[in-house]
Amino acid sequence: MWVYEKKLQYPIKIKNTNPKLAKMIITQYGGPDGELGASLRYLSQRFSMPYPELKAILTDIGTEELGHLEMIGAIVYQLTKNLTPEEIKKAGFEDYFVDHTTGIYPTSASGQPFTASSIAVKGDPITDLHEDLAAEQKARTTYDNILRFCDDPDVKDAIRFLRAREIVHYQRFGEGLRICTDKLNSKNFYAFNPSFDKK
Amino acid sequence: MSKRELLLKRIAAIDFAIVELNLYMDTHPDDDEINEKLNTYREKSANLRKEFESLYGPLTLDNKEKNQWRWIADPWPWNNCEGDEC
Repeated sequence: MWVYEKKLQYPIKIKNTNPKLAKMIITQYGGPDGELGASLRYLSQRFSMPYPELKAILTDIGTEELGHLEMIGAIVYQLTKNLTPEEIKKAGFEDYFVDHTTGIYPTSASGQPFTASSIAVKGDPITDLHEDLAAEQKARTTYDNILRFCDDPDVKDAIRFLRAREIVHYQRFGEGLRICTDKLNSKNFYAFNPSFDKK
Repeated sequence: MSKRELLLKRIAAIDFAIVELNLYMDTHPDDDEINEKLNTYREKSANLRKEFESLYGPLTLDNKEKNQWRWIADPWPWNNCEGDEC
């Protein structure tokens, strides 16, 4: 169960539109390392997690990612407000525009619609936590790449906040992995799946 | 920055501390010192939210104010405008 809060995790107020930048940032909405995939990955993986710390961390980080999804949506929305056809053409935004106008659609920067094939749920806590550690780093790299093309201080500020969150989540997942391996049965030093191979 | 935005920003700052400490507690559930800190932030957040909601309407649907349907009022979180401009 979730409760909606009518506010963003971090305020977004962008003065200048920039459809070119919006087209890059949308990748963190529905791209391969975006916030939609992040929330679905963690909120799905938690069902087969064995220990209370892991159930909690996946629930809470997965929930925070939904807040980040909303932030990215707000950034893209504000970057594409009140555009003229000339501005759309000049920015190379026509291809997105003909399909979605200025609606917010989960797609990657290169135009591939959101696909669950960019996330993994393996049902083995050690495997899944390694996926999560990699996912946080991939998202961090993507934010780094966005920052290379971003000179608007209003946008930079929010993207830097989101980038920092990836680093904190990586830290927490690292602790989760340590908790998991510490709890493996002493006979299970070959790390068989503790969620399935119970004996 | 409007008074509404300023108040929302203060709530976001306190709530960020809550999110951050909450994640920390997930992997350090026996850290009583941080747990206590978390409770002081929760109290601060509750007070600020009360002030915000009395002026600008509910942040969540469990809000008990009389005019509950101020819930629908603009601005919504993704708007960068105030009231009628949205």
